[in-house]
Amino acid sequence: MTRSGNRNDRLWMYATMVKSRHFEALIKPAYFEGKTPVFNMAKGPLPGEMHLSDGQEPCAVGVCAHLTAGDTVTATHRPHHIAIAKGVDLNGMAAEIFGKATGLSGGRGGHMHLFDARVNFACSGIVAQGLGPAVGAALAAKLRGEPHVAVAFLGEGAANQGAFHEALNLASVWRVPVVFVIEDNGYGISVSKRACTAIARNADRAAAYGMPGHFVAGNDPDAIYAVAGATIARARRDEGPSLIEIETYRLEGHFIGDAEGYRPGGEVDGLKAIDPIPLYRARLLADGFDAADLDAVEVEARNLVAAAFAAARAAAYPEPQEAFTHVFA
Amino acid sequence: MSSPEPPAAARRLTIARAISEAIGQEMARDPSVLVMGEDIAKLGGVFGTTTGLLDRFGPERVRDAPISETAFIGAAVGLAAAGMRPIVELMFVDFFGVCMDAIYNLAAKQCYFSGGQVTCPMVLMTSVGGGYGDAGQHSQCLYATFGHLPGMKVVIPSNAHDAKGLMLAAIRDPNPVIFMYHKALQGMGWLGTVQRSITDAPEGDYIVPIGEAACVREGDDMTIVGLGLSVHHALDAAKSLAAQGISAEVIDLRTVAPLDRVTIRASVRKTGRLLVVDDDYLSYGIGAEIIASVCEDPTITLRARPIRIAHPDIPVPFTPVMEHFVLPDAAKVVAAATILMETDR
Amino acid sequence: MTDVPIPADLWSADDVAAISAWLYDDGDSVQAGAVIAEIMVEKSSYELIAPATGKLQIVVPAEAVVTQGQVAGRIE
Repeated sequence: MTRSGNRNDRLWMYATMVKSRHFEALIKPAYFEGKTPVFNMAKGPLPGEMHLSDGQEPCAVGVCAHLTAGDTVTATHRPHHIAIAKGVDLNGMAAEIFGKATGLSGGRGGHMHLFDARVNFACSGIVAQGLGPAVGAALAAKLRGEPHVAVAFLGEGAANQGAFHEALNLASVWRVPVVFVIEDNGYGISVSKRACTAIARNADRAAAYGMPGHFVAGNDPDAIYAVAGATIARARRDEGPSLIEIETYRLEGHFIGDAEGYRPGGEVDGLKAIDPIPLYRARLLADGFDAADLDAVEVEARNLVAAAFAAARAAAYPEPQEAFTHVFA
Repeated sequence: MSSPEPPAAARRLTIARAISEAIGQEMARDPSVLVMGEDIAKLGGVFGTTTGLLDRFGPERVRDAPISETAFIGAAVGLAAAGMRPIVELMFVDFFGVCMDAIYNLAAKQCYFSGGQVTCPMVLMTSVGGGYGDAGQHSQCLYATFGHLPGMKVVIPSNAHDAKGLMLAAIRDPNPVIFMYHKALQGMGWLGTVQRSITDAPEGDYIVPIGEAACVREGDDMTIVGLGLSVHHALDAAKSLAAQGISAEVIDLRTVAPLDRVTIRASVRKTGRLLVVDDDYLSYGIGAEIIASVCEDPTITLRARPIRIAHPDIPVPFTPVMEHFVLPDAAKVVAAATILMETDR
Repeated sequence: MTDVPIPADLWSADDVAAISAWLYDDGDSVQAGAVIAEIMVEKSSYELIAPATGKLQIVVPAEAVVTQGQVAGRIE
């Protein structure tokens, strides 16, 4: 386990994890507004599904610490922590999730379809759909001679989808600067990884595609930072793609409201006891960071999130006829 | 004198329960039936279609699959070719993009390419429909997409009675049957409840034939054709129209393919007015097909030009003000029916 | 007259439960053993089973919050 990351980066990682967790903490009660007593998914200010990222923050910050606005990230139906780490406009993101006119897509996409072209971030609700586009973005950078990379985030379930096989093979054949990052949280919806994946380590699948595979244990931001840094640097040197498999966990259900009957008793409580954010704070303090500095970044992070939510709540809904615009350019 | 026995109580089910009951009854009767898909074992399906089946039949016949639709649907086709009767769940019809080859090129053409030597007795059950904020990749209907392609049957029940009967028919059919169930009608509670979809469903064995539409409300002034959720919009509208003295006949398609043109034409021949309502995309859709089928019949005289109501040709928007603006509903049906009545030829 | 209570011990008493749907209308005949309503707790659903055969009287309407042991209906 390395503690040697750049000091500023480590502070940024902590602040961003706090920001991300606070975002989810405000989403959850908002999601339940209007949905009680009978949980009706259509009701309230946040209708539809909601997939929270509590617990998976280290994956986002450990990777995105090495990325610039010009680097592309594609993500999944569980995108909030990654979007925040990538620098997606927080106000636009909150407003989009609330379906407001000021949202990133004016309310057309919602929580699973967040796009921010300024920072080259996109996410999708179809499993493994982001892998192909990441290969394409990486190829564009290579053709244009730009030093940019693409990162595709996926869950461990997506590694069993055909698009995974095709995208990794193609990335190697064309030697494009892409890194595939698997957030292994142990479950698809209700089915555990063990029950649906033929091998224990998805990192081992990298060999089938002629690229290095790395497994990172323990949901550790610094360890993720180190491996991500190496693979992203490799890509920027035009040495080709890599696969990273991160052992992480989700503290919430697959979607909010998931009764999680498939998780063994005590599992979630055990995970809460090793919540990566307080653990990282303790480690930073042990490494000589000033508690006052950590408190200050926490306060700033929470304020930014609170402001984004307030603005989202206050913003107007779009005119219904706006549904018909932007179907075509 | 003792009071007479109360009449035998009707047995009400939600569509979700009707589906799982049908599958369970057929699995008990026929050992070649098995069911697979994502989260269909312990969870009983995200939409309740396989509740209780794992406990009854075990993991060999009730199989959770990895997120590998092409593989497990392809495997289902292989099982069917080998003489078994697989039921596969595609969790959301929107996911057909990752596995359509196995469906329309493989399952649907197996009988044809083999000249009848090899059939494909497979049921692909899948959730359709939106209206609850799940956005453009989880809210689609795609009736026309599947209905358009040869070699597969496509059904969609509007109530529990038909759901059970159609599922039993589908499992016994030697052809691939796409069994669509509308999320708004499952009776899952967390997707809202359409009370009219909760109907009597006999406990024993019965079939609702594939390829037969049903007249669910008789009328003389117009024919309103719907399927799945839009049947309920049509029935709600018909009730409002009746209060205005307009008598609307409502046809529940029940099967998209093969389309029951005979029943539809007979109804419009009688009423002279046609309104089709569905929540799939408009162009090249259900309404277009039904209107064309009626117009090309020389024995039908229309009293007004036909009207079709559908979701416009745009991705399903997330934010509710947009989504509900574009989705069909009873009010839109009433408005269209009013126009139909005004334009007598 | 038989009471139809909300089941106890199927979920934590702290969780909010509500009847999401009555499968029968007030006054309908129901059979003992039939599922007559669905109860939602968070996103899980539980069955309310008729303890007797007869005419259903709905006491607690759909979408109302219920507590364990509360009489949701009666059958006579």
